[in-house]
Amino acid sequence: MPIFQRWRSVLLSVCLCGLLLISSGCATKPPSPYAQVQQESTQRGAPKAVAKTATQGSEFNRFFPKPGNGFERVYTQEKKGFAEAKLKKDGKDMAMLSISDTSSVPTAAQKYAQSTEKIAGFPTVEVGTTQTGVLVGSHYQVKVLSRNPAFVKSDRKAWIAKFDLQGLSKLR
Amino acid sequence: MSKPIFELVDELPTGGITVMSLRSLDFAVPGQWQNLVGFNNTIKAVTGETDEALIQQIGERAVQLFNDKSQGYQNALWLYQTVDSASGALGAAAMANKVGQDISFLGFLQNLTPKPEKAQSIDLCVKLVVELVAFCQINGIPGDSIGDFLAALGDYSGESLMRMAALVCFDGLVPLGPDFALKGLSTLNTMSPNDLEHNTTFKGVKSLIPGGDSAGQLSFITSSMDSVKGWMTDFVSSRGLTPEQVVDNLTKFVEISKDKLDYLGAFLDMTSNYYTHTGTQTLARRLIERAVAEI
Repeated sequence: MPIFQRWRSVLLSVCLCGLLLISSGCATKPPSPYAQVQQESTQRGAPKAVAKTATQGSEFNRFFPKPGNGFERVYTQEKKGFAEAKLKKDGKDMAMLSISDTSSVPTAAQKYAQSTEKIAGFPTVEVGTTQTGVLVGSHYQVKVLSRNPAFVKSDRKAWIAKFDLQGLSKLR
Repeated sequence: MSKPIFELVDELPTGGITVMSLRSLDFAVPGQWQNLVGFNNTIKAVTGETDEALIQQIGERAVQLFNDKSQGYQNALWLYQTVDSASGALGAAAMANKVGQDISFLGFLQNLTPKPEKAQSIDLCVKLVVELVAFCQINGIPGDSIGDFLAALGDYSGESLMRMAALVCFDGLVPLGPDFALKGLSTLNTMSPNDLEHNTTFKGVKSLIPGGDSAGQLSFITSSMDSVKGWMTDFVSSRGLTPEQVVDNLTKFVEISKDKLDYLGAFLDMTSNYYTHTGTQTLARRLIERAVAEI
């Protein structure tokens, strides 16, 4: 191959390599792991995040455990289908207490089908390493979520039992 | 349509004037604010969970909640963003003229006029009301009594407490002096609904302020200011905060000359957006707290 042609092909491959490098460098970020849910929840006619029929959060407040024994209870959120309170001790956040209406998140209720244990007669499951939940009246999920290493699984179970679960099971 | 919440949280800056000016307030609220950025990071920090699949599940629920407009989260974000941009609009216009020119910071200051005290007082009060309205958009009205609600408000910590510290220090103490809360209130008491309508900051957020018309909104703002002035003055006195102290600390983080104190409020107004920054952090935290409890 004449030297000139060799040079041409070398030059061409160098250019191509450069182009590849540039284009890969400028390539858009990998899609976010949340791109799909973003698209699904913003497209026309997307399902609402909270079911129309969901119980108002204000209905849940009276079933929360009473503060006491050095624990302070601060209600933090009250939205349609959801209410949450914070449990504090000596000014420190210890746990979150919550009641939610699973009609907005059916999979939340479905996971209790695998439950093998009960608290006060209601099926219970552990989620991750910080959460204990029960399903009440096949409709409402009650959770206690640790926010401090000193607040362990047995504390979560004890506090779940302090909710008025029977009362909540009669709420319609 | 808002930007996706995960992008907003992922794109929160880790430096710049907003972050540095907030860091300078650590002396007032020690250890309260770590500038948590990144959506998945926030999920991990808030929930203490580490399993990737679980984090993804929590994140997806948070995204759904944010995107459901009826849930109020987008209103809250809009309020935080709008009150920042409206109060900085005046300064931003001055800044736009300078884009592309190599100017020193002090040169730039010479083109700034401090806001009149009245405008500054209204800004303070409107920002406070925005906080109250955004709180309710995000959290609802928690509990069954006014006492429960006040306890929820009193439980401010982390980035929310930092936002209030910045409000008290940058929009109260520094521009208006130690009796800023009284000044704010007396300004409101002597003004007409018409005056309020001419305030840029108020105009920006007017559509989401309760009260119906401007007169009703003025009285809502006045009674809100009246009910939290005690909290504000207590915040200052219990921590022994003075304007000098705030400025001293600020100059350690942000390059600024102390003899330009008059301009400091205006400077911060236009260059920092601490409501948007910490408001996005608060919103993300609350969404995640709800999401993890609901899944």
